Amino acid sequence: MSDETTASAARATAGAIGHGTLVDPRGLSARTDRAGTTRPAVVRTLAFLRKLYGLVQRYFPQFLIAGIAFAILKVYANGGLTLMGAQIKNALVLGAIYALVAIGYTMVYGIIELINFAHGDVFTLSGFYAFVIAGLSGGAIGSLATHSGIGLLLALLIIFPTTMVAAGFTGVVIERVAYRRLRDAPRLAPLITAIGVSFLLEGLMLVIFGADNRPTKLSSWITGRAVRVAGVDVNWKDIFVVATALGLMFSLGAFVRITTLGKAMRATAQDRSASLLSGINVNRTISATFFIGSALAAAGAIVYSINYDLIQWNLGYQLGIIAFTAAVLGGIGNIVGAGVGGFIIGVISVFGGQLAGGEWSNSLVFAILVIILTFRPVGLFGVDVTTRA
Amino acid sequence: MPRLGLLQRPQPVTPQAGPRGSGTSTFWIFSLGSAMLLLMSWLLPWFVRPTSSGVGYSPMDVVTSSPTGIGTILVYILAVTMLIMVLSPVLEIAYRLRKEATPRRFDTLRGIAAVIGLVSTVAVFVLARIMREEPLFGQIDSHSITDSAVWLTMAGYIIAAVTYGARQRVTHRPSLAFGAVALPFGLLLPLMFHQAPDFILWAAESLAVYMLLALGLNVVVGFAGLLDLGYAAFFAIGAYTCASLASPKHSIHLPLWVLIFLGAAVASMFGAVLGAPTLRLRGDYLAIVTLGFGEIIPDLATNNVGKLTGGPDGISSIDQPALGPIHFGTNKEWYYWSLLVVVIVVIILLRNLERSRMGRAWVALREDEVAAAATGINTTSTKLLAFAIGASISGIAGAFYGSIVTVVTPQDFNFSVSVSILSMIVLGGIGNITGVIVGSFALTFVIFWVLQNLNEWSGTLGQTINVPTLGNLNFSQYTYIVYGVTLILMMLLRPGGLIPSRARQIELKSGGEEESLAAVQGRA
Repeated sequence: MSDETTASAARATAGAIGHGTLVDPRGLSARTDRAGTTRPAVVRTLAFLRKLYGLVQRYFPQFLIAGIAFAILKVYANGGLTLMGAQIKNALVLGAIYALVAIGYTMVYGIIELINFAHGDVFTLSGFYAFVIAGLSGGAIGSLATHSGIGLLLALLIIFPTTMVAAGFTGVVIERVAYRRLRDAPRLAPLITAIGVSFLLEGLMLVIFGADNRPTKLSSWITGRAVRVAGVDVNWKDIFVVATALGLMFSLGAFVRITTLGKAMRATAQDRSASLLSGINVNRTISATFFIGSALAAAGAIVYSINYDLIQWNLGYQLGIIAFTAAVLGGIGNIVGAGVGGFIIGVISVFGGQLAGGEWSNSLVFAILVIILTFRPVGLFGVDVTTRA
Repeated sequence: MPRLGLLQRPQPVTPQAGPRGSGTSTFWIFSLGSAMLLLMSWLLPWFVRPTSSGVGYSPMDVVTSSPTGIGTILVYILAVTMLIMVLSPVLEIAYRLRKEATPRRFDTLRGIAAVIGLVSTVAVFVLARIMREEPLFGQIDSHSITDSAVWLTMAGYIIAAVTYGARQRVTHRPSLAFGAVALPFGLLLPLMFHQAPDFILWAAESLAVYMLLALGLNVVVGFAGLLDLGYAAFFAIGAYTCASLASPKHSIHLPLWVLIFLGAAVASMFGAVLGAPTLRLRGDYLAIVTLGFGEIIPDLATNNVGKLTGGPDGISSIDQPALGPIHFGTNKEWYYWSLLVVVIVVIILLRNLERSRMGRAWVALREDEVAAAATGINTTSTKLLAFAIGASISGIAGAFYGSIVTVVTPQDFNFSVSVSILSMIVLGGIGNITGVIVGSFALTFVIFWVLQNLNEWSGTLGQTINVPTLGNLNFSQYTYIVYGVTLILMMLLRPGGLIPSRARQIELKSGGEEESLAAVQGRA
C-alpha cells in the first residue's frame, strides 16, 4: 500500500521537475518530457485513480461506516424516527439470517480455503427439510406449535435439532463425495466442483418441490407484538430470530474456543500438515466443520421460514452470494467477522434498498462485494489472505 | 560445476504421453459417435414419430417395406455394415481390456465397410429420391427419403471411414482429423433435421451460439487461466447492443453484419473495463468478482438504466437480417450457416492466437504469474487482452442471439448461462479448442435435444406400458442437474476434460504439489 503511494508521489515529482532525472518505472513521464509538454490528461487521470485507490484501500472501514451512517441519517431525514426504527429492525432480522449463513462460508474457507458455493443451496435444502419435518404426521408439529406456549417450545425443540442434524449430514456427505478428493488439486478445481454441487442441489429441489414459491406455514408459529418502541412494532418473531442467531453464534464461538474439536479446527485452519503431524484427525475435523456450518445454515433457514414464510428452489443462490459478501466483509476465515459482516450487510441492503429502491438492493450488495475484493480483500477484521487468494 | 546443470535438467516427457493421450480420446469419441449416429438413424422413426407425424425414414423402413431386386441387396449391405460399425466400439473395448492393440486388418476391413456403406446409402438415396425407383423399395413416400436418417447415416459412415481407415492419422493429428470430420457434419446439421419440428433448428442455432460462447470463455479460462463466472454479462452486453441498434426501441435499424462488429467492440470494451478491477486478484477471488459483475449487469438491465434496456420485459421485435434475396426470419437455417462461418473464422483466429506471442504469454501467466512478470510479460495488458478478446467473442454471439430470438430479456443472461458455458468447456477440455467444440456439442445435444424429446418419449412409453405418471415427468427441469453432474464428475474423474489439452494435463498432474507448496510458503 505504502510503496504504491510513494511510487505515485515519485512519479508526480518527476512530472513536476520535467527533466526526467528520476527513472519512471513505466516510462510515462519520460515520454512526455521528450515531447516537452506537461503530462497529458491520461497520465494525470491514472495518477489520480491510483491515489484514489490507495485512499479507498487505506480508509475502507471509515468510508463504509460513513456511508452507512449517512444512509441511516438520510432515511431518518426522509421518513422520521418510525421509518428509521422499522428499517433498523428489518436490517437486524435480515442481518441475523445472513450472519448464520455467512458463518458456514467463513468456517469452510478458513479450514480448506474453498468457497463452498453449495452452501447457499444447503440453506434452501434445509428450508425444505424443515418444511417436510413440520408437515410430518399430518402437520402434528405445526398444530402443537400453535396450540400453546409449551407446545411451541416443544415444537421448536423438535424442529431445530432434526433439521440441523439433517442439514449437517448433508454438508458432510457433500464434502466427502465432492470436495475431499480434490483437497490437494489446483485451487479452481474444487471451486468448479462446488458450483456443480450447487447446481445439482438446485436441480434436485426444482424437480422434487417444483418451481413455485412454497409457503412453509411456519410463520404462524410465533405471533404477537412484544414491545412498541418509538412507534415501531417489535414482534416476538423478530426478537426470536435475532436472539436465536446471536445465541447460536455465541455458542459456536465458545465451542471453537473451548472444546478440543474447536482447537483442532483452529489448528487445521492454521496449518493442515502440521496438525496432521501432531495427531489431529484432519478429515474428521473438516467433516465437523462442514457439519456445523451446514447446521447453522439450517438454523438460518428455519428462522427465515418462520419470518418470511416461503422457500423456493433457487432462493439460496442469491442469498448465498450475499452471505458470502458478509463473510468477505468481515474478513474471510474469521467467525466473529462473519457475524458482524452479516449484520452490516443486512443494514446496507435494507437501507440501500430504502434509499435507492428495493430493486437495487441486490446490485448494491454485489457492488460492495466487488469493491471489498478489489480494494480490501482482507475485509474489516481479517488477517492478510492476499497471498492465498 | 557443469555436472549440476545436467543433473538438474528436468526429465524428458515420454514422447507418447501427450499426443497419444489426446489422440486416443478423439478416436474413442469418433468410434462411439459413429456407432451412435448409425444406431440413431435406425431408431429415428421411433424417436421422431411420436413428436411429429409422418417424418422419419430409416433403413429399417426399407426393410419393412419388402424391397425387391437390387434394393434388397443394397439394404442388406447397409444392414451388415451398420452392424459392423455399431459393434466395433465393443470390439475396441474388448481389445482394450485385454491390453492388446486392435489388429490392423480389422481397421482396414471396417474402413472398407464404412466406405461401402456410404456408397450404398448414397445409392439408396439417389435411386429412391432422384430416379424414383420406388418398386425397388416397396411403398415409401418419396418425400420422406430426404429426411434426417439419410444424413445421419452418411455422417456416421464418414466418421467411421475416417476413424478406422485413417486410424494413425486420427491418433497423431487429432485436431486435423476432428476438423475433417466435424466440418461436413456441421454443414449438414440443419439438413439432418430438414422436416423435423422447429425446435431442432433452434437447437442447432443454440449449438452454434453456445459454441461461440464456449470458445470465448475458453480464451479467458483455458488460455489465460482466469476463472470468469460472469461471462454471461458480456453475452448480455452484445445482445443488448444488437437489440438497441436494430429494433423499434430507439428507432435505429442497423444491419446485423455491422452489429456483429459493434457488439464485439462494445463487449470487449466492457471486458477490459470490468477486467481492470480484477487484475490484482487471483484464483477464487477473481472468480467471485466476475460473478458479482455477472449479477450486476443483468440487474442494471432489469432496472432499466437510463431507459435504455426496457426493464424486465427487455427489448422485443429485433430486426432479422437479409442476405440478398434470403430473408433470415423465414429461412432460419441461414442463421446457422452464417454462425458456422463465424465459428470457423473464430476457431482459426484462436488457433493462431494460441500459438502467437500473446498465447504463450497467457500460458506463462496461467502457470506462474510472478515468473511471467519477471520474464518481462506485461501482466496487466496480457490479462486485459484475454478478458477483452473473450468478451468480444461473446459480443458476436450476443448479437446473433438477439437477432435469432428477436427478444432479449435480462433473465436470458443469468448465472446459469455462465455455468452452462463453463460446463461445456470443463466437459470438453479446458484450454483445448477441439475439446471445447466437443463439449459444447455434447451438452447442447443433451439439453436442447435429448431432454426436450424425453418428455415426448416418456409420454409415449407411459401410454404404451400403461404407466401414465411417466407422461407427467418434465425433463426440461433436469437441465440444472445435467450441468451440476457434468461439473462434479468431470472435475472428480477427468479434470482435463474429454479431450485434454496437453499443457493442461501436465499442469494438472504437477499442479497439486506446487499449490500446496505455495500454501505452506504463504503461511510460513
